[in-house]
Amino acid sequence: MAAVTFRNVEKRFGSVEAVRDFSLEIADGSFMVLVGPSGSGKTTALRMLAGLEAVGAGTIAIGERVVNDVSPRERDVAMVFQDYALYPQMSVRDNFAFGLRRRKLARDVIERRVRRAADALELGELLDRRPRELSGGQQQRVALGRALVREPQVFLMDEPLSNLDAKLRVQTRGEIRRLQQEIETTTVYVTHDQVEAMTMGDRIAVMNAGRLEQVGTPEELYERPANLFVAAFIGSPAMSLVPVAGLPLELPGADAGAVLGVRPEHARLWEDGEGLLGPLEGEVAYVEALGRETFLGVDSGPRTRFVVSVAGRSPIRPGERVRFGLVADGLRLFAAASGRALGPLAGRR
Amino acid sequence: MSARAAPPGEPRRVAYLYLLPGLAVFAAFVLAPLLHTAWIALFEWDGVSAGEWVGLDNFGALVTEPELRSAFWHALVLLVFYAVLPVAIGLLLAAAMARTRVRGLTAFRTVLFLPQVIALVVVAVMWRMIYAPEGGLINEGLRAIGLGGLAQNWLGDFTLALPSVGLIATWVFYGLAMVLFTAGVQKIPPSLYDAARVDGAGPVREFFAVTLPGLRGEIAVALTLTTIAALRNFDIVYITTGGGPGDATTVPAFEVYERAFQSGRVGGAAAVGICLAAVIFALSLAINRFADRGLR
Amino acid sequence: MIARREQQLTYLLLGVFSLIALVPVAGIVVTALQARGSAAGFGVPDGFNLENFATAWEEGNFADYLRSSVIVTVSVVALSTLLSILAGYAFGMMRFRGATVLFYLMLLGLMVPLEATIVPLYYDLRDLSLTDTYWALILPQVGASVAFGTFWMRAFFRSVPRSLVEAARLDGSSSWTTLWRVVLPLGRPAVLTMVALIFMWTWNEFLLALVMVSDEGLRTAPLGLAFFQGRNTTDYALLAAGSVIVATPVVVLYVFLQRHFIRGMLAGAVKG
Repeated sequence: MAAVTFRNVEKRFGSVEAVRDFSLEIADGSFMVLVGPSGSGKTTALRMLAGLEAVGAGTIAIGERVVNDVSPRERDVAMVFQDYALYPQMSVRDNFAFGLRRRKLARDVIERRVRRAADALELGELLDRRPRELSGGQQQRVALGRALVREPQVFLMDEPLSNLDAKLRVQTRGEIRRLQQEIETTTVYVTHDQVEAMTMGDRIAVMNAGRLEQVGTPEELYERPANLFVAAFIGSPAMSLVPVAGLPLELPGADAGAVLGVRPEHARLWEDGEGLLGPLEGEVAYVEALGRETFLGVDSGPRTRFVVSVAGRSPIRPGERVRFGLVADGLRLFAAASGRALGPLAGRR
Repeated sequence: MSARAAPPGEPRRVAYLYLLPGLAVFAAFVLAPLLHTAWIALFEWDGVSAGEWVGLDNFGALVTEPELRSAFWHALVLLVFYAVLPVAIGLLLAAAMARTRVRGLTAFRTVLFLPQVIALVVVAVMWRMIYAPEGGLINEGLRAIGLGGLAQNWLGDFTLALPSVGLIATWVFYGLAMVLFTAGVQKIPPSLYDAARVDGAGPVREFFAVTLPGLRGEIAVALTLTTIAALRNFDIVYITTGGGPGDATTVPAFEVYERAFQSGRVGGAAAVGICLAAVIFALSLAINRFADRGLR
Repeated sequence: MIARREQQLTYLLLGVFSLIALVPVAGIVVTALQARGSAAGFGVPDGFNLENFATAWEEGNFADYLRSSVIVTVSVVALSTLLSILAGYAFGMMRFRGATVLFYLMLLGLMVPLEATIVPLYYDLRDLSLTDTYWALILPQVGASVAFGTFWMRAFFRSVPRSLVEAARLDGSSSWTTLWRVVLPLGRPAVLTMVALIFMWTWNEFLLALVMVSDEGLRTAPLGLAFFQGRNTTDYALLAAGSVIVATPVVVLYVFLQRHFIRGMLAGAVKG
């Protein structure tokens, strides 16, 4: 059990800067998700924490100890790999026991831990099988179990669910979270899937092109994105981002060239709401009917597309013109050049 | 601030320990002798008394001495039997096999490859018996069908000895080419043949346009292996003809042996050895350069 | 149908050339079974005279020759395999300074023919009083085999997923443990192929034995056969029996591992 601290960490591969000036505090016992598109540096940061990559500059500390020069074995961390990396010629039991035997633990201690992990992951019947005899989901659990038995200070997970089908992924997500809450071990979890991040993390660190864009709770990232990238990345369907210029709205605090961000649930048909800012008008470009709600992509000008939400089903078809309005509380402003958030919107029309 | 390039705990210097035993034996028994050979080649030495410095004379002899010239010429001739013929036979099969499905290929491959695993000494003993003027399979077979007039002293005839030795090599190596090419041909996507056929190509055109380029890698391997074997030919010559009759079947490797261990011309032998190594190296490079360029 | 004709042609070619490959081999086995003293080289078999083999074995000393070959070959295979695994592991899985240079050096060594090194090998080993010992046959062949084996094993080690090694490292496994417990178990086919090829090349080696060994008690099988031929040029049956004895071990190995032998050769095509 230990906190993890990244301080001004940098990493370069040849001429490519994979991680720049990365600083992050991960509280002891918490579940931190590193999320971002590929190339964002999240996996590199994780691997540096594991000790599989050398730190270019800056420090990484586990607990009080700076571990830059400490071998992975000594760091007492356990990792779940994306391709599971199970030892193919060993049984599940031996896969679990391998790391424990390396550390010269007593045989009964090993037995106990193996049994406990197997029970927790419902692998009891499969202990003597080889990985290739198992299904993808079972292999994934073995990978988890192998990390569990180590009882490390930190769990590291590198996109462990990306090889599972959608249904299994959702199910396993919950199981991992539940397990982690039981054992209360600090966990760092890397994924490119923002839905996964939002549902699993205590806190989320959004990364892009090697930089940390924002760190916070799911709510914070959702309600108060710090910049355009986070605003566009988090949330599904994505936030509508539209240049302020040309909108028939008065938006105090917005300079020329600012960008307005509004989530679909805060853009409604004019008839459907009261106290909405607007009206805005546009042509429906597409309709996404999801049963419980319908999303309309509405073009109200060049490069100006809003995603408008309608409860239930809607008879509206692409090509039709609609009028819609925006919920004032849901509006966010971003500076055009830097992309940074310009603070909450004050006032209404 | 860690400035080390390697992640902590990754094996780095220990690599040298892993390498040491193998590298040591290799250096001591392959590299060092190679350098030593080059050194010996600069001397005239009988293997017993002190040697005498002659600089590059031994290398010069490679070009001037008729015995050595004919040895290398014979090696060149043998190249045809070792490399060209087997590859041609292999290509013949590849051409026929290009678009067909063959069952039992594994069984055929096992048989075809068999000559490759038999010791060359055994192969030579075997063929010496086959070539025997009296009682050998060829001559007895010819006599049996009434063509006794064609029976020859295959290995004892001045003109026939070298080709006869060469054919032994062809027998040893055509299976290798066939196995290589049948595997390679199966990797050529059938769509290429379909495209060629649609373009109106006949079987000959197909062979040159699709099969041959598709087998470039395999041809390079076959040529490399057979060329090196051709230049190293010792066992077969030693057992079948001993270089004879006269000098009809001398080869460079045989010259090395003869000079170093029989006639006390160790420096000269070393020079021949170096030359062999250089030719092998150059030819391997050339063959693979050709193959790569084609692949581009 | 053109395809039919091509298929027939293919089978014909395969059949004919397979036959040509087999006939001499079959012929020599048949000859070995003939009665001694018959003049024909490949005559009609006139009996099942297995005693030719016994004669070759004892009077012909092939028992001794085989024993020498076994000692030398097993030693070379064992040593080369071990050394190649170690060196291939380093080249294939570790990063260290000079890796490229050393690797190309070994690649070069792969192409060096014995004929280029036999001269100093003989004279230097003679000075060390090692000629006419098994070492003179074992060490040079280990040197050459290690060049091949390292190259071969390196290719295998490079094909192992990195994440497997990283998982082992996180589990606290040393490089030694990772090699023998985690990675090498995956390489049985590769090792088997390497063993088969080195066995074949070593067993069949002639020139080295001819040069290094003059003591009859140390002759390896091919060398023994060569001398045997010198003494029995016309006793075809006996000569054939000796030949069969010499060739059989490798042929037997080949029959059981033929997939590996051929794979070894074909893999060269991927590299080449």
